[in-house]
Amino acid sequence: MNRRRILTPQRLLGIAMAGAILSGCVTSRVENIRENTTGIGAGEGIVIMAKSYHLGNETEAKFIACVGNSIGSGSTGLRVVPNTEFVDALFPWFEPRTAPAETKGLPTLMSRPGVAEKIKEKGIRYVVWLDGDTDKVAGGGSMSCAAGPGGGGCFGFAWWQNDSNYEADVWDLAGLEDAGTVSADVSGTSFLPAIVIPIPLIARTQNKACNALADQLKLFIISDEAV
Amino acid sequence: MSLRLKTSIATLVVIGIAGCGGAKVTLHNPTIPKPLIDQLPLSVAARYPAVFDNFVHEEQVIGKEKWSIDLGRANRILFTQLFGSMFTEFRVIDNEVNPQDLEFDALIEPSIDAFEFSVPSQSQTDDFAVWIRYRIKIFDKDGIQIANWPIAAYGKSQSTTFSTDEALQRAAVLAMRDAAALIILQMDKSTGISKLRGTNVQQTSPPSVTPVHEDIALQTAAEEIPDESS
Repeated sequence: MNRRRILTPQRLLGIAMAGAILSGCVTSRVENIRENTTGIGAGEGIVIMAKSYHLGNETEAKFIACVGNSIGSGSTGLRVVPNTEFVDALFPWFEPRTAPAETKGLPTLMSRPGVAEKIKEKGIRYVVWLDGDTDKVAGGGSMSCAAGPGGGGCFGFAWWQNDSNYEADVWDLAGLEDAGTVSADVSGTSFLPAIVIPIPLIARTQNKACNALADQLKLFIISDEAV
Repeated sequence: MSLRLKTSIATLVVIGIAGCGGAKVTLHNPTIPKPLIDQLPLSVAARYPAVFDNFVHEEQVIGKEKWSIDLGRANRILFTQLFGSMFTEFRVIDNEVNPQDLEFDALIEPSIDAFEFSVPSQSQTDDFAVWIRYRIKIFDKDGIQIANWPIAAYGKSQSTTFSTDEALQRAAVLAMRDAAALIILQMDKSTGISKLRGTNVQQTSPPSVTPVHEDIALQTAAEEIPDESS
């Protein structure tokens, strides 16, 4: 009796919809360019930062949090220092206005009073600067919905394409140099067909870009591959 | 019309009106972290305008909602923390006190020239943005104005990450931190305050704080003091 209750048509429809939502199709390309050898020791950590909005960067805060969480999780997870903690500890040198835009500013930064000591105290080996965002680049279709005393429903078809393009610049604070760049370009088209009930087929490009970028960053940092 | 239907309609109207009402946001005494800098060897006093104790800004988005942000004492707290970290000796004086009766190297009078913000419905983005224009006047111990320095600060926060209230609060706090960073980097260069060193403190060289982003941070300089005698 219990089994029959579990397999009601409504529940089956819910499972089918959940499956459809999760099955959004995306294409992705992840690349890295290595400038210097990397590697990370015991007790060393990284911090994930967004490039300054003073420079026009629009990287979403939730994307930065997602990359940080992904890099820090799993058996090969790295120690990720929360960026608010890092920025506060080094105030005012990593504010959007004052943060160095290029590695050539690192020697000046490290010579400021207390900066090198604070970075050592926090155990920060790498600063990862994220740039990029997710945009809706195309869309179309039409859908109309109506509701009346006897019920309601939708009919039509809509689609849209999202592109998530992100780049992570890895700075090595030990060598005061640019270790390299990892980028993730993910494109996906979402569909919303509706015959009475709309069934969303969502392409989760940002989530895919987050996971792809985080996995590649982890490999990039722990790898001792020569240039 | 049944009582239940009337109640439902009234509830919907109230919700509709509330939905168009914008929001009132209050900053609860935000603080800035202790800056990693060398202090300037100066004895400095600061005098704040009354508005620093209760600053409220309202903005009506045309045809849409009305927003209000209450900074309360946030500006007084910001400048007290900031100057307390920047100078070896610092105190806040009341407006009733005659500065000539006190000993100091410099008197600083910060004020707010303008405060603006934009909400997502205006900018067609997910961002709340806050602009603050502060003005910093510096007087020597004889009461002669030596600098009149306008600074523009900016903060931005995304509404997709925070609730709308939190996003506007955060944008305001980021703008105040931006002002603090700019003052730390540029104050001596733009106003020459370290030249006012007197006999109150030991003479040492002031630290050089050249911004890493010189192109951004150097967009500010003290205005010439108008000749009031003409």
